[in-house]
Amino acid sequence: MKGWLPSWVRPRAAIGLLAACVVLALVPIFNTAIYIHNLLTLTFVGIAAALAWNWLGGYLGQVSFGHAAMFGIGGFVAARVQLSLGMPMLLAWLVGALVAGAFSLVWGHPTLRLRGPYFSIATIGVGEATRLVCTYWDWFTGGSSGLSLPMKSGLKYELYWYGIVLAALALAASYALRRSPMGLSLLAIKSDVDAAGDVGVSPTRLQDLVLFLSGATMGICGSFYASFFSYIEPGDMFGFDRSISWVLMGVIGGIGTIFGPALGAIIFVFVKENLIASYPQLYLGLYGTLLVLVILFEPLGLTGLFLRLVRRARPDLSVTGMAAED
Amino acid sequence: MDRLVDLVIAAVLLAGLYATMAYGLGLIYGVLRIVNLNHGGMIMAGAYAAWYLHTALGLDPYLALLLVSVAAFFVGILTYRLLVRRLPRGAAGGVQSLLLLFGVWLILRNAAYLLFSGNDQTLRTTYSTRAIAIGNSLVSLNRIAVFGVAIVILIVLHLLLTRTYVGKAIRAVAQNPDSCTLVGIPVERIYALTFGLGTALAAAAGLLGATLFPFNPSFGAAELLKSFVVVVLGGLGSVAGTAIAALILATVEVFAILVIPAYLTAAVGFVLLVLVLVIRPGGLFGQRVLG
Amino acid sequence: MRTANLVLALCALALGACKQSSTDQKQQAAQGSSGAAAPSGTEILIGATLPLTGAESRIGGFYKEGYDLAFEEANQAGGVSVGGKKMPVRLTLLDDTSSQATAASLADRLINSDKVQFLLGTYATNLVEAQTVVAEQNAIPYVNGGGAATAIYKRGYKWVFGLLAPVELLAESIMKWIDAEQQAGKIPKPATISLLWENTSHGKDFRKGVTEFSDKSKNYKVVVDESFELGGKDFSALLGQVKAAKTDLFLADAHLPDYITMQRQYVTAGLCNKVLSYGARGSEKQAADALGKKNVEYILSAVWWSPLLADKNPEAKKFVDTFKAKYQNRVPEWYQALGYETARALFRAIEQAGSLDRNAVREKLAALKMPSVLPGGELTFPAEFGQQSHAPFVVQQNLPDGSSPIVAPPDSATGKGIAPNPNCAK
Repeated sequence: MKGWLPSWVRPRAAIGLLAACVVLALVPIFNTAIYIHNLLTLTFVGIAAALAWNWLGGYLGQVSFGHAAMFGIGGFVAARVQLSLGMPMLLAWLVGALVAGAFSLVWGHPTLRLRGPYFSIATIGVGEATRLVCTYWDWFTGGSSGLSLPMKSGLKYELYWYGIVLAALALAASYALRRSPMGLSLLAIKSDVDAAGDVGVSPTRLQDLVLFLSGATMGICGSFYASFFSYIEPGDMFGFDRSISWVLMGVIGGIGTIFGPALGAIIFVFVKENLIASYPQLYLGLYGTLLVLVILFEPLGLTGLFLRLVRRARPDLSVTGMAAED
Repeated sequence: MDRLVDLVIAAVLLAGLYATMAYGLGLIYGVLRIVNLNHGGMIMAGAYAAWYLHTALGLDPYLALLLVSVAAFFVGILTYRLLVRRLPRGAAGGVQSLLLLFGVWLILRNAAYLLFSGNDQTLRTTYSTRAIAIGNSLVSLNRIAVFGVAIVILIVLHLLLTRTYVGKAIRAVAQNPDSCTLVGIPVERIYALTFGLGTALAAAAGLLGATLFPFNPSFGAAELLKSFVVVVLGGLGSVAGTAIAALILATVEVFAILVIPAYLTAAVGFVLLVLVLVIRPGGLFGQRVLG
Repeated sequence: MRTANLVLALCALALGACKQSSTDQKQQAAQGSSGAAAPSGTEILIGATLPLTGAESRIGGFYKEGYDLAFEEANQAGGVSVGGKKMPVRLTLLDDTSSQATAASLADRLINSDKVQFLLGTYATNLVEAQTVVAEQNAIPYVNGGGAATAIYKRGYKWVFGLLAPVELLAESIMKWIDAEQQAGKIPKPATISLLWENTSHGKDFRKGVTEFSDKSKNYKVVVDESFELGGKDFSALLGQVKAAKTDLFLADAHLPDYITMQRQYVTAGLCNKVLSYGARGSEKQAADALGKKNVEYILSAVWWSPLLADKNPEAKKFVDTFKAKYQNRVPEWYQALGYETARALFRAIEQAGSLDRNAVREKLAALKMPSVLPGGELTFPAEFGQQSHAPFVVQQNLPDGSSPIVAPPDSATGKGIAPNPNCAK
């Protein structure tokens, strides 16, 4: 067992992930409520997207308020190639991911030099400019009418398992990006870019890699979304509110932690679910309050809270983990 | 030729609006190094305050300007004392302040929804459509007034920052907070004051915006983004820089209609933002912000 | 440690899902069949979402009034007759907060969790377009009065029925009235047009209607053709272009706040065109309040319904009277009328089908010919238009005395329109 796993992977982690996937894959046998089934599918995409955002926002410390740009581009590229070229779905997703990843490099490579809030402001500019241009670009996005994909019966149901795979891959990547030797380099870059360069870490190359991965994963999520709803529209895909939602998921779940954003995504979907019926507009204020509380008292969000509880319950366990380093 | 004059006037007046919107953001960032994302929220609050005073008490917005600004000043100080003060200073605090104030903005938005519903509101006054003739063009009186207020604020701020003790203290704190403590300047109090001032400016901008456009709880988002562009263009700590940057942005946006479709002129500002950040992050007039 | 955390979370998810589904299964058993065959239970469960909060909350509220009125009316008569037996109708209404994903998810929930038998639509084209996918996938009739884009009905969907005629037709109605004025010599031939349209699905369709009419007719020339962003604030440059072009006609399509902003700037800039229109906007009281009565004079608009139709259309009169009785003498606008009529169309189809079988009801909807409050007096869902109603629009013009009579089509007209705009001569 230990032979073929890289040394930095804890066997328990790998087994845990595998077990979770198997359990979730089997759930539909017992659960016939299609509504919950679809909700779970959306949660999986949300997990993947939040984690992808976190690679840039948490691992590199560059908070992006414009990630909807890659989400939208991935979605529309995938929809467009399926409509115009009749490409099979998974191939279209791949194309969407690649284009989105490339796009993130185009704007991200020069802007990653910026530190602190300047990068975040730049991402707002990128997000909004992309939205406006893509809404105008009729051929690509259908303009404000959006694009409608031909309906394939049963696809929405099947996407559940695709979602599991997507979320699992994102989790594995999250783990790898942190735990592997590369992860240490990323931490170094986050703390002090110049010093990192001095000790032989190649900051630009690594940053570009993370940027690409983050953008490409966002692109797949967008493509997934397009296939799931069979109809996408630029105002919705590129919206500022959408970019914000990942910031919220990441920060409330635990920015910079491996699984925190996944937790944030789960909470996000389920809270919205339950609030939507009774108090539809309250979730804005709720997330705002949570955000304020997290920033003031627990920078690692819910994950931080959880860790505190663990440390209190089992002080003997060494929880060095990733959280302590932030 | 007429068209050219029209465009120039449009650009100048728009610049006045943009400048008013951007002062508060620029001031807070210049001194506290904090990106006040609640700037959008306070713009919205100012708009609702103006509308409420007008609808309930019949108070003209321009007369209410001082009242709303002073109220917002205290709200700003409160926000600082309760929340912002707890953040770490410097680089670590940068992104955190961003997120914290964003959270406050969300809460304000929600409050506005609950109090006033999400519907669009309009503030109509007797001079809403009054115009005066400048040469061959008809120019909105309201817009001229907004421009006038922008100039007044520019002058007042400039005088405040250069002639008064408080103003000099603010500038000193912006340059080097630690040294200030050494010479007995109450840094925390200056921070609170500046934050209050920036908030007051935001609310004032919102009030003026309410006289011009319909608004709802999401008001302020687009204005915030434009303010970013202005502040980044103009660099930091320079009130005059902000004004000139507003003029540049407005001119580019207005004249862009001659070369690109009208719809895309809205994107011009954002492209400019990213370009300036990448090529000359210190803005056209400010200092370096890399590293 | 972190893995344990995550595995726990995921297992909790799974357990939660299982628990929810078992509750649903129990509910399902209690309710009887899943609603695909014989009448289940004692009432007809109809689901819908509306933007009750969010950007379109005002209009969402109006549609709700229409739905509520229709449901109340039906239940006061004992319910809807299904194969001889009267069954009350119940509406499960959820708030989709004007968000597309929420609208689609809630439609899913209504169908699969709340087990509604039929769906009524929401308001706003993109929300309707997203929801119709869910309806079609689940083979459930979806009747809506809130989505006008032809794109919705061009997908070959069998289960979707729309009461709103396309916006292209709206533009065409306005152009037809203008054309009549042109034939009568009131407007120059050829006439130049400034066309400003909001970059939304609505605006695009409006533009299409105008340009298609102008291309076919040869008596018009579109000189300015520009789109603007929804929620745009400063139109000075754009209006400057219009001013420089000195066109005869000014045709725009905008949502209410943009209409108010643009018209304000239009008036302030001293602009005046021989004919002025903002598409479906113009006759709203809110606009007159926000702009001032003088500043909305002679604005031409075309809408799907007007309370003035009560003069000539008995169904419309009945509706207006019932509405006023329920809502403190308030006069309904087209939103409430469409909401009301949408629900009524569904009820009628159920009655005609004589059962709650979805296929039977769908067939009756497709073949529906109902006396209606809509202009023209009849509601149908023609197959050639993808089951989108093509009932005519009423064209109205704001007159200085504060009224907005219907000036077209002739069988609904309550007044005469005026062109060119007399204010321009001053």
